[in-house]
Amino acid sequence: MVTATASDPISNTFAALADPTRRAILARLASGEASVTELAEPFEMTLPAVSKHLKVLERAGLIARGREAQWRPCRLQAGPLKDADEWIERYRRHWEESFDRLDSYLQELQQKEKKYSRKITKKEDKNGREN
Amino acid sequence: MAERTDAPMTAEERVLIVERVFDAPRELVWKGWTDPEQVMRWWGPKGFTSPACEIDLRVGGKYLWCMRTPQGQDFWNTGVYREIVLYERIVCTQSLADEKGNVVPGAHYGMSGDLPLETVVTVTFEEIDGRTRLVLRQEGIGDMLEGAEAGWNGAFDKLADSLPAPEIKGG
Repeated sequence: MVTATASDPISNTFAALADPTRRAILARLASGEASVTELAEPFEMTLPAVSKHLKVLERAGLIARGREAQWRPCRLQAGPLKDADEWIERYRRHWEESFDRLDSYLQELQQKEKKYSRKITKKEDKNGREN
Repeated sequence: MAERTDAPMTAEERVLIVERVFDAPRELVWKGWTDPEQVMRWWGPKGFTSPACEIDLRVGGKYLWCMRTPQGQDFWNTGVYREIVLYERIVCTQSLADEKGNVVPGAHYGMSGDLPLETVVTVTFEEIDGRTRLVLRQEGIGDMLEGAEAGWNGAFDKLADSLPAPEIKGG
């Protein structure tokens, strides 16, 4: 059994983005920083509920919160979203490297076939002469 | 509307296309994809091995491919064949699975646990002078980023317009 780890940052990003409320919060933050109270208003949510979502987003590195002010404004951070794009690059590398191996295998296979067909030809020649 | 440099990709941009020309006849490349023993010779990135492979090559049939990391961790993939045109084209789904072939969410492998992941893979084989051009198209990878709920595209637009993010003070 594979044990789940929360240490992979891309997993954290995807997990954070998988929730519609959190995506809506990000969209709101895209137009500028906001306080927890401001974020709670359009979503008709309680402050603790919003705070919970903010924590997930913060852990994923999608937002940062100011420390200086009492209202701790939230701001969007774009870095992890670019990491998400890198996910596609992982798939690409997976296929490219698999294809490298397929390529070598196909070459190997054809070499073997050539040798094999040469052997058959020789055998037939020999038989031919014997007959 | 701001320039989208560095912005998250659109749905269409999130289609992965990988192309390769193999110096082998098309029938051989096709066999490499459809014969389990042969798939086990190449499935997985550099340094990986493939200890198991099952293929039920018919529309509606399933496959179960396994790859083992150099550290010895097994990753299983399964999917259903949606379209098979002999020597020309294979369309199938692709999901993460357990060793029994049950589709599992990413959490099973320590990845994002919220969404099961299904992509659609289309492989085409084209013979050119005894060589084979293979084009792999994989759709749905970016869907991990999309919820069923509406509004995500709008959110993406706003995110795109906001990039790059401002420096965080005191963070």
